[in-house]
Amino acid sequence: MASPSQKRLQRELKLMQSEPPPGMTVDHEEAMQDLTRWIINVEGAPGTLYEGEHFQLQFKFGSRYPFDSPQVMFTGQNIPIHPHVYSNGHICLSILTDDWSPALSVQAVCLSIVSMLSSCKEKKRPLDNTFYIKTCHKNPKKTKWWYHDDEV
Amino acid sequence: MATSSGSEPGPSREGEENKEKDERMFECNICLDTARDAVVSMCGHLFCWPCLHQWLDTRPNRQVCPVCKAVISKDKVIPLYGRGSGKQEDPRNKVPPRPPGHRTEPENTNGFPGFGFGDGGFQMSFGIGAFPFSFFTSSFNFGEPRPNPAPVGTPQFGEEQFLSRVFLYIACVFILWLLLA
Repeated sequence: MASPSQKRLQRELKLMQSEPPPGMTVDHEEAMQDLTRWIINVEGAPGTLYEGEHFQLQFKFGSRYPFDSPQVMFTGQNIPIHPHVYSNGHICLSILTDDWSPALSVQAVCLSIVSMLSSCKEKKRPLDNTFYIKTCHKNPKKTKWWYHDDEV
Repeated sequence: MATSSGSEPGPSREGEENKEKDERMFECNICLDTARDAVVSMCGHLFCWPCLHQWLDTRPNRQVCPVCKAVISKDKVIPLYGRGSGKQEDPRNKVPPRPPGHRTEPENTNGFPGFGFGDGGFQMSFGIGAFPFSFFTSSFNFGEPRPNPAPVGTPQFGEEQFLSRVFLYIACVFILWLLLA
């Protein structure tokens, strides 16, 4: 018998395949092998600084999903250069920790991240990037994020 | 015939899609399954009661609707009873039961049934009579909070036994007096 979190993940996976949001594809085979780890290929939205770029987002789900937020970070070769994305792939986004809600889905999180990228006006790394990537935990959820900048 | 194979995009398929959409209307916003033990928040969002309960337990100091972040609470959700509800196995073994629906009974016009005067008098005097005992027992305890009883054999143990016996006799006499008077 599948646990509630697995059931929901299966549902989300099915939806992600049948009605994928624009510019996003889920690596289905990877997700089928291990339902708790998904890779999502994301395209930079047209008309933004990231147009034509390809990124990979990694989702890891705990057993308490959806009551607990998933672990989300950029992975792969191309990590977007953005004031809220560290060069190790960690993302400073409030819905991934404090503002998480179980009504959010993988799709909603991906859309939020793409829209965060889209509203960027200048490609640059966070100010504390070098310090952060040296000192942070591997799991971005262990970071005590300080959400202060609502502009991008 | 070769041409008869393949799917026909006809009304049957459309109907299926509509049916799917209809079903999605009644999905819980948390588990994405058809809501069981359905409740609806004041802001109008549908959940399974077990799902919503677990979410409210997850963040006890920040109780907001998962969909719209309106303030919600366990007492302020409305259960939905469809015709097909009930009978199925109860999934709420680990969860407190769904809060009841709010309905008001028509006002009761009968006043409080009157007791005999003597009864009331008896109750009253008993209440006052009990007062000194509770007063003594609480003020004859040395220090706060209530100390443990003294160990057996010490002079204090004897004293305590004596005191408690004295109060017991006083209580008996008092009750006897109440009954006879």
